[in-house]
Amino acid sequence: MHTNIECKQCHKQFVKAVNFCGFCGASIQSTKVEKRNIALNLVIVFFITFLLFALAVYLINERLESSLVKELVIELAFASLVIGFSLFDWKAILKTYKVPKLSGNIWAWTFIIPILSSIVVYYFVNAMNTILFGDSDYSYFESYLYLDNPLPWAIFFVAILPPIFEELAFRGFLFNQLQKIVSERMTIVGTAFLFALVHFSLISFLWIFPFGLLLGYLRSKYKTLWLGIIIHFIHNLIIILWDYYDYQNLIHFLE
Amino acid sequence: MNEIIELQLFPSSCNHCSEIVSEEYVYCTYCGFPHNGTVKDLALYEKRIRDKDRTNEEAKRKIKNARNTLYVMSAITFLFGLFSFSGELGSALFTISTIQSIIYLVLAYWSTQKPLISLLLGLFLYLTIIIVSAVSDPGTIVRGIIFKVIIIAFLAKGIYSASSIKKISYAY
Repeated sequence: MHTNIECKQCHKQFVKAVNFCGFCGASIQSTKVEKRNIALNLVIVFFITFLLFALAVYLINERLESSLVKELVIELAFASLVIGFSLFDWKAILKTYKVPKLSGNIWAWTFIIPILSSIVVYYFVNAMNTILFGDSDYSYFESYLYLDNPLPWAIFFVAILPPIFEELAFRGFLFNQLQKIVSERMTIVGTAFLFALVHFSLISFLWIFPFGLLLGYLRSKYKTLWLGIIIHFIHNLIIILWDYYDYQNLIHFLE
Repeated sequence: MNEIIELQLFPSSCNHCSEIVSEEYVYCTYCGFPHNGTVKDLALYEKRIRDKDRTNEEAKRKIKNARNTLYVMSAITFLFGLFSFSGELGSALFTISTIQSIIYLVLAYWSTQKPLISLLLGLFLYLTIIIVSAVSDPGTIVRGIIFKVIIIAFLAKGIYSASSIKKISYAY
């Protein structure tokens, strides 16, 4: 794609890419550095906002009792933040919502990968937690037991909302901004690293980072968010159903 | 007809980098050399080169400082894990600190090749650790605040310096 480049000093236009203005000798690079720094600032502000939001959520959860309204407000706030940042780059992000024309093989792997990843994660996380903390009982499903219909709500909060908004945040907004700063490969590594960091567990980092690399690679190769959303959804859905199955077994055992 | 031929602009090679440059330009659009310029333009060009060299040297120094900050953080985190080993949850703290220390170490080493992304990720890791620590003990957010500000400042300076001297892709 050709973009007209303007010299900031003498305002002459160049159709072809140039390093220096042919009329006044000013460096055109400085304009590019400024553009890159705008994207860099956006990435930094986005991440700091995300961290502060996570801290606020923790403090709210500590002070307020569990309730559906609280959960919905937190999710709404997170969605608003992500959509708000995405508006800075909405045209480019909108393109990633086009459904790609892919072979049957790719679609098949899109369903197989999360099945494999959820099995690995389920056993790996349990094993690590047991070894390090002597406790492997954390259950996503059980944190929604206070609701009347815990399973549909758990699926909604764990399997449906995070894939939609986390993919938009990390493979959408963040991916596009990092692409303006560093190479495509480094963008995949960077988004995977940050995706792993915001799960706030260095143990989980060991599996979320490779998982993020895979999602980033798919986003880069097929220019779509849909593969990431589907993989993320199936992965989280299996984990929540597994938790539900374990819980049912425990209830039967206690009866 | 002759007049039209006279006005036509012929490209020529830059005296400095041999790149083909249109005669309508005073400066080479590739290296910035004033190949159609005056003595004054040449002096200005040389001053720009000197300024750029100085800026680049300064940027490299700041990147090096940021890299050393990551090495120091790696060592401190590892030592913290080592001293926590005997306490309650000692093995968990040791494992977490070791993972964190290795990540800092890898990022510091990686910054020799890809300073921008590695220092950026190093800064984000550090900020995340501050927030996670604040969650378990809110007092930690102000504890050692000067030390934290210094670390963040070193990393931020390194990041923006890496951004300013990063090779630019000319593919549009």
